[in-house]
Amino acid sequence: MNSPGTSLYLENLGVTFTSKRSGKVDALKGISLKMEQGDTFALVGESGSGKTTLLRVVLGLLRPGGGKVFLLEKDLEKCTREELTQLRRQCGYIPQDPYGCLPPTLSVIQSVLEPCLIVGGRKSLPMAKDKAGKLLREAGLDDPSLWDSRVRSALSGGQRQRVSIARALVLDPLLLLADEPTSMQDASTRGEIIEILKRHVKRGMSLIFVTHDLFLARTAAERILVLYRGCPCEEGPSDEIVKDPLHPYTRALLAASPRLGQKIISVSRGSQENGLETEGCPFRSRCPETGEQCASLPPLKALGSRKVACWKVR
Amino acid sequence: MIRIHDLNVTYRSNSRQVHAVRNANLTIEKGRITALVGESGSGKSTLLMAVTKLLPPGVSLKGSILFENRDLLSMTEGEIGSYRWKKIALILQGSMNSLTPVISIGSQIEEVLSFHLSLNGSLLKKRTHELLSEAGLDPSFSMRFPHELSGGQKQRAAIAMALACDPPFLLADEPTTALDVITQSEIIGMLERVVRARNMGMLMVTHDIALASSLGDEIVVMKDGRIVERGDPSSILHFPEHHHTRELISALRKIEGGTYHE
Repeated sequence: MNSPGTSLYLENLGVTFTSKRSGKVDALKGISLKMEQGDTFALVGESGSGKTTLLRVVLGLLRPGGGKVFLLEKDLEKCTREELTQLRRQCGYIPQDPYGCLPPTLSVIQSVLEPCLIVGGRKSLPMAKDKAGKLLREAGLDDPSLWDSRVRSALSGGQRQRVSIARALVLDPLLLLADEPTSMQDASTRGEIIEILKRHVKRGMSLIFVTHDLFLARTAAERILVLYRGCPCEEGPSDEIVKDPLHPYTRALLAASPRLGQKIISVSRGSQENGLETEGCPFRSRCPETGEQCASLPPLKALGSRKVACWKVR
Repeated sequence: MIRIHDLNVTYRSNSRQVHAVRNANLTIEKGRITALVGESGSGKSTLLMAVTKLLPPGVSLKGSILFENRDLLSMTEGEIGSYRWKKIALILQGSMNSLTPVISIGSQIEEVLSFHLSLNGSLLKKRTHELLSEAGLDPSFSMRFPHELSGGQKQRAAIAMALACDPPFLLADEPTTALDVITQSEIIGMLERVVRARNMGMLMVTHDIALASSLGDEIVVMKDGRIVERGDPSSILHFPEHHHTRELISALRKIEGGTYHE
């Protein structure tokens, strides 16, 4: 349950979208999770699995169709607009698209300072400036001559992503929602950025890290939740999930991830059109191990420190 | 084969002279997949784009790129135009976004076929459907518009277009970078099957040395505009000579092995 020190508590969360082609689609279904202060969680799944939708629900940008959301101990359903604003100010958000998320008219340093300006006003700026500079240096933008140039004209995607990281951390958030924050980084800088996030976790920040890369998820977070088409497949300690994946979808994700010197293996998608069954296991049309039972939705069963939603796992 | 000899690419940026590619030598052979690996700013994409001379005006290219006994670099725009698509096709990271939004997928492929190969009538439709299937899309996709397709499906359509003229060579610049690992694995698998089945030569640029090692016959590593190392995947992975190659590999090994913070 929601209790003091809980950063995030989700109970049986559901979101349904209506689309012309497919009718009603469950974007999220039956999601429950609990994060204490300083916990780190990775959401893993392919495009369309509901990772970004989940972040939007947590920030109160999208009202869920069902279930409960407690953010920093507050029930989002009962929050007034002002309370929601206050809650959001305690959360950092690194959106997926570094091209779309930074104000086009601001310089690098202004982009990082903007949250301070909004929350603390002009008088807070002198102090915030030192901090913004420190964060930019930390994020690898250590050339101050770049700080006064406009984000739009001078920065690559990877550099924008680092500005967006500094911007999300400048108010020392209690919870950071990072949506594929290293997607445009080289392998060598990916690890460095995760190090930065981990330093903030040490001071008590909680972290939700969204990625489609299980290896990166393990590096960034203690626990992993694997999503497929909005449904939880598997949840547990990162190391155990990567070393011994229980759900066939988790195994497919691992086999598809490039690894040094190994062939990547793809799970067949079947026909492009089917696979939108509304009942049963959402993965069954692509699952190599599917059976008769899979026509009904498997429950998320607890197995020691892990949970898995698959009829074949005992 | 395409022989890149002593290629140098320079341009001015913010009144600074940039030497993007330095003395590069590289051969792209039929039936072989060459993976060109480097971090952002290493010059790998510039090198790839130089092969079809698709670099912005003001960029200076020195050296030679020999193909069918002619130097692509000394050709006029009109001459090289007859090589692009027909002999050397291109797939870019943003290919999926270069589809015309108001024309159906099928019509866009038909346009390539009728312009370059003068196909028409039922043959045009038949060939378009074959190309879509080869790229892993149901022929019914020919009626759809780009906004109705997912990123991976759009990239497949772009690949179908690149294959339209049966080119002997394919240049691919980060063709799967914007896609998730599952979609990436499907597209890379499809590309590899098609390239092998048609005995094409492919140069694939990627920042991911793990991906390079999973499909390349040869890995070429670039750093600061220079080719610093080349070899078959297993010797590059097990006996990397250049310190930059070692850095690329060890950064990935740490993430793969879960030992980054140890």
